[in-house]
Amino acid sequence: MRATLTLENGMTVPDQSLSNPDPAWPEARLTLKSQLEDLTLVWPWVEAIAARYSVPADTQFAIQLCLEEALSNIIRHGYQSQPNQAISVEYAPACVENDNAEELVFTVEDHAPPFDPLAPSADAPAPAPVSIQEFPPGGQGIRLMRKFAGRLAWQQLPNGNRLTLAFTLPRSLSPSVP
Amino acid sequence: MQISTEEMPGGITRVALDGRMDIAGAAAVDLKMNLIAGSAKKLLVDLEKVAFLGSMGLRSIVTPARAVKSRGGTVVLFAPNEMVESVLKTSGIDTLIPVRHDLDAAIAELG
Repeated sequence: MRATLTLENGMTVPDQSLSNPDPAWPEARLTLKSQLEDLTLVWPWVEAIAARYSVPADTQFAIQLCLEEALSNIIRHGYQSQPNQAISVEYAPACVENDNAEELVFTVEDHAPPFDPLAPSADAPAPAPVSIQEFPPGGQGIRLMRKFAGRLAWQQLPNGNRLTLAFTLPRSLSPSVP
Repeated sequence: MQISTEEMPGGITRVALDGRMDIAGAAAVDLKMNLIAGSAKKLLVDLEKVAFLGSMGLRSIVTPARAVKSRGGTVVLFAPNEMVESVLKTSGIDTLIPVRHDLDAAIAELG
């Protein structure tokens, strides 16, 4: 059973202090349930990955942002807020071909109905809001992911979706691989 | 996520946010932000110590700003860091709520 903390507003979140006993070696895969509270597990996990690969602060911000947007979209729209559906996030370093750089590649998989966030219809340009009353309360996630991810790819699985988000690292900043 | 308020000269309410406006941070400040927005006429949202802003955090800023503006009040966003400002610009909210890095300019914007 996972320990939880209760926030001031009554929201219960997993106790992050118990979720990652050794931040130097982040687990390759994070498994979440389709509840927004589980997004709090992502922060310490990415923090540990960032420490391991000396990820610049701006890139760490971009990774956190894109994962939060991707995962909250899956929970709220893909799974329609049904709890206890599985989502997995994996990371792996990769070389960028013909370029003196490496990437951190995150792969998010779910079993929700197919949804391609890269399809033109997923982020159809709406008329610019002329007043704050018209500003849409949602719908920013895909735009933010497109702006902040170095590379985005979507693949339909037999029973779900795979979203790949890659972030470029300068080679000199990544650790030597034995 | 910490939130504090200060009444400044000229009827300005300064709300200082401190921490990560991620999904948990947004939930932690929503109630207080909405209470403040219920009475503020000139709202200065101090983002200087906000280390992260996601779309849920953005909503926690836009909703109270909308409430203040709908009552004829004014809102300004103050001193976001470069990445937070990039989120504001990507969403387009910077065209509807002014973003200022200089306190005097922010105060002037509130009228």
